[in-house]
Amino acid sequence: MSITVRDLVHVYHPGTPLETKALNGVEFEAEKGKWVAVVGHTGSGKSTLAQHLNGLLLPSSGSVSIDGITIGPGEKSLRAVRQKVGLVFQYPEQQLFEETVFQEVAFGPKNWGFTPEEIKNEVEKSLAQVGIGPELFGANPFRLSGGQKRRVAIASVLSSRPDYLVLDEPTAGLDSSGKKQLLSLLVDLKSLGKGIVHVTHDMDLALGLADMVFVLDDGKSLLWGPPELILWELLERDIRGLVIPPLVRFAGRLRDLGFEVPLTWDPIRLAEAISGSRRK
Amino acid sequence: MKFLNNMTLGQYVPVDSQIHSLDPRSKIIATIVCLTGVFLVREPYGFLSWGLFFVLIVSVSRLPGSLIISSSRPVWILIAFTSVIHLFFTKGVPVFSWGILEITREGLDMAVRMGLRLLMLVLFAGFLTLTTSPTELADGLESLFSPLKRFGFPAHELAMMMTIALRFIPTLLNETERIMKAQIARGADLDRGGPLRRLRAFIPVLVPLFVIVFQRADDLATAMEARNYTGGEGRTRMYPLRWSVTDSGVLMLTLLFAIAVSLLEKRLMP
Ligand SMILES: Nc1ncnc2c1ncn2[C@@H]1O[C@H](COP(=O)(O)OP(=O)(O)OP(=O)(O)O)[C@@H](O)[C@H]1O
Ligand SMILES: [Mg+2]
Repeated sequence: MSITVRDLVHVYHPGTPLETKALNGVEFEAEKGKWVAVVGHTGSGKSTLAQHLNGLLLPSSGSVSIDGITIGPGEKSLRAVRQKVGLVFQYPEQQLFEETVFQEVAFGPKNWGFTPEEIKNEVEKSLAQVGIGPELFGANPFRLSGGQKRRVAIASVLSSRPDYLVLDEPTAGLDSSGKKQLLSLLVDLKSLGKGIVHVTHDMDLALGLADMVFVLDDGKSLLWGPPELILWELLERDIRGLVIPPLVRFAGRLRDLGFEVPLTWDPIRLAEAISGSRRK
Repeated sequence: MKFLNNMTLGQYVPVDSQIHSLDPRSKIIATIVCLTGVFLVREPYGFLSWGLFFVLIVSVSRLPGSLIISSSRPVWILIAFTSVIHLFFTKGVPVFSWGILEITREGLDMAVRMGLRLLMLVLFAGFLTLTTSPTELADGLESLFSPLKRFGFPAHELAMMMTIALRFIPTLLNETERIMKAQIARGADLDRGGPLRRLRAFIPVLVPLFVIVFQRADDLATAMEARNYTGGEGRTRMYPLRWSVTDSGVLMLTLLFAIAVSLLEKRLMP
């Protein structure tokens, strides 16, 4: 069970002066219960790829299939796929429109034709997952704080019971505690067996939380592997749009100075290594 | 679901061509001349002449024909609708009837003429905005209207409002597309059912759009005030408009063409 992308090409505005080849032969995979980070310079095609994963954009050529369903122009497969793959856009709070938090979160399940009991269950479950208590169910979504709005918006995607969650820069504009909450929610969802596809600029997050990292460069797949591998590649050569996390740089410098520490982006591990190497 | 991103009506397309580099004022006046000319046309010969003229200026502008056609697509329905109305509601000699519906020879005639005329009006007007940037367009209008400033006509304010409005169209379309996608991803079904159902289905798009637009407008006003914008008085220009010999030439030729077509048409008329 997985999302499989093969030789994906996407051209915006074909045949006009604005023609842009945003993706050019991309190979990509995401599995249930796994976290994939998608990184790359601005304009590398991350958002374009994300929108293919649930059929919002259709391939110019190549194929995208979700749990065996190949995305095509047919309306039926599209609806099935869109329910399986939840897409959280950047600044998802901007898509809120209902009068109450409850109705907002019920929008998706209603569209998919869930029964009234299912709707109620899913709404309550999703809001609980994102940490919105029942006292806010009747509140006007536009009156909530920024962080709360974001969480309601994410709940409104979770309530459709997707197997995969694709998030485009979900932490943009959140303060550090909001960020932490959101990430721990994603970790929980992963442990519940959902597949997470996380588009981000933040290498710390990509390396620290993902099982696999996918690097896009100019619409092409550049690298695909576990965080360690990506880190080694990053130390070997410059990759456009990716920065080495400060902690890794710090560890690297320590090694240059003769300390026996591992190259890591995990502060605790590094601290332990430093104290260990001094005691030696 | 077809998204709005397949080019929009008359959005500026920067290309390096002689038409693009004309003074906006000459283009605005020439467009008015063309629109008037097209409006006066009655005979097939006149339509043909204006059609050829349009093909000529498009080829000089180096914009692909497919773009011109696709950018006028949004108004086709309107044009077809007008034609159909004329087809069925013009009194005259019937050539075909079916129940209460009756098509007359005059109706056919009017339908074809009105359809062609509207299509050409849209094409010429669209061509102006395809080849002139919003800023240039506003500068040109402001300059053309500035003699009226003496009588208290708010030429600068109107031009500024137009620039901002035009500048916001692409942004607005992008935002609309983004919100539509987000709601479709949540299972919204935006293009099925009758008109009323569709309208209701669009609430999830319209509400967020209003919120964003007001937010943007507010941001813009604040940003303009913060940079000391107080209106037209004493404001200088980055690129003063420059009227060249080519501009005079183009304008003269267009005018002559329009007059020639109209005169010849009069003479050919029975
Ligand atoms: N709706 C669109 N119409 C035309 N071109 C587009 C559209 N969306 C994206 N592009 C172009 O496709 C390319 C890839 O864009 P995309 O948004 O996928 O990049 P990204 O990696 O998400 O960038 P960022 O990090 O800035 O969000 C860019 O060259 C962009 O200009
Ligand atoms: Mg993006």
